[in-house]
Order: sequence, then structure tokens, then C-alpha cells
Amino acid sequence: MDGKPTKVNEVVLQGNEACAKGALYAGCRFFAGYPITPSTEIIEMMSAEMQKAGGAFIQMEDEIGSACAIIGARWGGKKAMTATSGPGYTLMQEAIGFAAVTETPVVIVNVQRGGPSTGQPTLSSQQDIYQTRYGSHGDYEIIVLTPSSVQEMYDFTIRAFELSEQFRTPVILLADEVVGHMREKITIRDGSKEIKSEKKKYVVSPQADFFKGEFSTVEGQLHDEQGRRIGHIAKKSGEFINNINKKIRDNVDSIASIDTYCMEDADVAIVAYGSVARPAMNAVKKARGIKDDRILPKFRIVRDLFTRGVSKTIKTDYSHLKVGLVKINTVWPMPEELLRQATEHVDMVIVPEMNVGKYVREIERVLWDKTVISLPKCGGDIHTPTEILDEILEAAGVEEEE
Amino acid sequence: MRINVRFAGSGGQGVILASVLLAKGYGLGEDYNIAQTQSYGPEARGGACKAEVVISDEEIDYMKVDGVDVFVALNQVGFDKYIGDVKENAIVLINSTLVESDNPDYFRVQATKRAEEMGKPFCVNIIALGALTKLMPKIHSPAIEEEIKKNFNASIAAVNLDAYRIGYELMEEDLEKGKQIHFHV
Repeated sequence: MDGKPTKVNEVVLQGNEACAKGALYAGCRFFAGYPITPSTEIIEMMSAEMQKAGGAFIQMEDEIGSACAIIGARWGGKKAMTATSGPGYTLMQEAIGFAAVTETPVVIVNVQRGGPSTGQPTLSSQQDIYQTRYGSHGDYEIIVLTPSSVQEMYDFTIRAFELSEQFRTPVILLADEVVGHMREKITIRDGSKEIKSEKKKYVVSPQADFFKGEFSTVEGQLHDEQGRRIGHIAKKSGEFINNINKKIRDNVDSIASIDTYCMEDADVAIVAYGSVARPAMNAVKKARGIKDDRILPKFRIVRDLFTRGVSKTIKTDYSHLKVGLVKINTVWPMPEELLRQATEHVDMVIVPEMNVGKYVREIERVLWDKTVISLPKCGGDIHTPTEILDEILEAAGVEEEE
Repeated sequence: MRINVRFAGSGGQGVILASVLLAKGYGLGEDYNIAQTQSYGPEARGGACKAEVVISDEEIDYMKVDGVDVFVALNQVGFDKYIGDVKENAIVLINSTLVESDNPDYFRVQATKRAEEMGKPFCVNIIALGALTKLMPKIHSPAIEEEIKKNFNASIAAVNLDAYRIGYELMEEDLEKGKQIHFHV
């Protein structure tokens, strides 16, 4: 914090708007983008707010230009972000590799829609999970955060700026249409947070401090500390590649983040990321017999008025089923240790995701000694709690009572 | 305790705006969490469109509507497409200018007709929202009015505030005729 007292406000915001607010709070003062559903509201809010914050907003000619512009802006001294969705994210891959090799801290938001190609503009997916990891060519590690609520759109955007500056690397905020377009009540802060760039701890080269006027070549080929090419020297090149990967791999502990729910005694775990963690949470509650309409006194009046409508509780109590949820906040680098610890006593893992079943392969790799069940869903709709609950019941061999 | 609300209609009718205003009507009060989501096609106008609001005094996990407690239909296409998982005892409010139904339990508001009489056909959503406000418990109506003022320039805001009040009063009249019996069970 920069010492000024910050006021906390409760507001109703859309996920995309919360992302823009989070970026501004984190000190983002340059935004370049090209509008694309379902990420457009980020660009809209940036165009309205950036100038007031004393920064610059540019609508670029396309997403290639947008991604390149934020790299240039960061070297010019401003914290920078762009936002897009599937087709635009594909166009940004070259620049993402360039940001990785030049160790430029930038934040790129991908609000996922259905693909391939222009796919499903207005519907949701988690199909880009591997593209965020392996989208650009060559060996590089990257940090990818997956928000599952509007509050997390705000918080994770701020976190993305912190991580990008700390590790001098591009960070991807991998949202999806559901969290991008959803509105919820969240708390945001006034003012802005000072995030310092870490200069020498992990960074290979160049060692230039942003905005200090040091002379340095910003070089896409493998380079030394002054930005001079070293690609012809095998030993130095090998070290370079190892270093830009190790700076993230060796620090997974300080990057990785998961949340767990009801995992203490669980036999079955649902492992989910992004918006799908929400219906998964609901399914866990249903399975545990935690009724989602516990009546609090202040709601008595509402309930009376709604007597005819709201009487639904779950019919069958599966509270003997010990199910828990692991919500992954950082899909890349994969939180392997945390995941293994959280699922230590679990026999079975269910992985719901809005794609053909992708991240489940990573889960299988890490939890190789457990039964891992993929629960993919394509078409644009998020899983319903019932779909996940049914899978839990089937996995547990429970026949549903009528 | 969770109330699932769904608005249905056509792209351009203001379905999403109505849901956002309702969400703020609860969310900007103190007691409730809300989650507002929407589903629409790539068209700018036309096509079936829905928007949903979950209202709860707890943390909302699943953000979409599962089983509808309150259903508002602004046109026939939306009504037909999205009535499917409306609960048997749900509160259903239809724009009776455009939606035909002989179900006596439904609440009706002549939203399109009244909007045209006002000379402001774009007010359909706000008239329906006004009528819905009368039906919804514990809604923070001033928050909705504030949002209307914030979202539009002064002259359009005034028109919308009028529409909001008209919708509210229409439903009030209906309830005075004995309609409310159905949900004071």
C-alpha cells in the first residue's frame, strides 16, 4: 500500500467491470485492446476510466497490435493490460512469447467463449486452458489465474499485476463468459496499490529497471543482461531457457493457490477451476445434506410471501457421502503439491470442466494413484449442480431415491 | 433461502437491463447477495433472450437459476422458450399485450400497450419491472430509482421513472382487486 488510507466500498458490478476496476487499483495506466464479446465491457470501462486515472487507453487495429502495445508501454514505464476472448487471444500468441522472453510484466485477460475459431461469441467455455499454457512456441513457463466470481475477477486481476511484476513475466487472467458477464455484490477499494517491480531476484536479463532510463536492447532472441544476442552460444542459451522457466517453477509455492471446502473427511473430491467451481460447490452442499435454503429469521417475511414458490429443499439426504471441493485458483503453474496434500485421503476425484476434458489430464498425471473421472461439458452452458451431483452419486454407487 | 428470478423476452426489449436493475434493488440493500447472469444470441435485436437473478441471504454458489420462483415474460417467444423449468407455484408475470395465456394465476401487466400510450415504446421493460417490484418482497426500490437516474440522461431517466411508477401502480390496482389472495397462502 502507498500509505494513503483506502476506503472499502460495496458495489454491484459485472465481472468484466470488476476486472477493469482491479487493474486500475493495481496501478495499470496503459490499456490497449480491441473489443470482442464477451470481454468488451473491460475495454468499455477502461476507455471511460483510464483517462480519469491519468493513464492512456488506445483502441488498436487488432489484437496483435494490442498485445504488442502493452509490451511497449511496460518498457516505457507504465503497468499495462489488454483483454480479449478466444479468437483475439489466438492472435496474441506471438506477443505473449515475446513478453516471456523479454521478461516483460504484462497482464492479459482472456474471457473465454466457445471455439474453435469465432465459435460461440456469447456463450461460455474453458476450452483455452492448454492454449494459455502452451499457446506460444518455445519453452517458457507462464502464470494463469482462474477467477470464479466477480470478487475474484477484482482480486485476481490485482494479484496478476503483483505476480507479473514479481516474476517479470506475462500473467494471464483466464476468465470465462459466465464470470465475465455475471453481476455480483463485491467490495472494492478506493485509491491505488503500489506494486513494485522486483529487479534482480529471478530475472535473467535484461536487468534494466523499467522507467529508469537505462539503456538496454529489448531482444526477442535469447540474450544476455545487456540484451545482446547469445543464441549462437549453446551453453549460455541453455542457461537462459532454464532460468526463465526456473524462476516460475522453483517458486510454485509462492504462486500456487487453491481453496478447499469440506475436504477434511472427504472420500470423493471434486476438482474444479473458474466458474464451474460454483455449481460444484452447490453439488457438494447437496451431497452433504447442507440445505441451500436454511431459513434465517430475517427472511421469515419473504418466505411467507413466497410460500407457494420456495419450498424446495433436497429430497434425499446423501449426508453419508463424504464429498469435498478443491477449487484451483492458479491453473498454471499447476499447484501439484497443494493438490496432492488436499486430496491425500481421497480415493476418487471428479473433474468437471466446460470443454472436452482437458485439465483432467493434468490431474491424472498428478493424482496418478487415484481414480480420476472426467466430467466434460461442451455447448456453452455451465454444468448444473445436478449434473455434478449425479456423477458423485454414480461414482459412489448410490441409487437415487424418488 | 434463495429466490430464483428469470426475465425472458427478445433482444432489444431491455430484458437484461430489467434484471440488472432488479439485482441492484436487492444487492444495494444490506441483506442480500445477488448473482445476475444472462443468455443471449449474437444478434443485436431479436432472438430469444433471458436474464436471471439469484437473490439470497447466503453466499451464492451456483449462479444460474435452477428452478424458477419468479418468471417475467416480455413476449411470447421468450415465454414459450423459457417457461419450461418454472416451478409449479412460481409467481409468473406476463406482458399481457404480447403474451397470451389463460392461466388465471398469472399476474398481468399491459406493458407494451401502456408504453405505446406513453409514446415511449422502449419503456416496456421498466413498466414490467415496476409491476414486479410490487410483487417482490423486501426490494430496495430507491436503489432501482437511483440506478435509473444514473443510467440515463435526465430526460430519459424521467420517462423511465414515470414508467416504473406506472407499472407499480398498475399492479397495485390489480392487487386491490383481490389478486394477492393467491400468494398469501
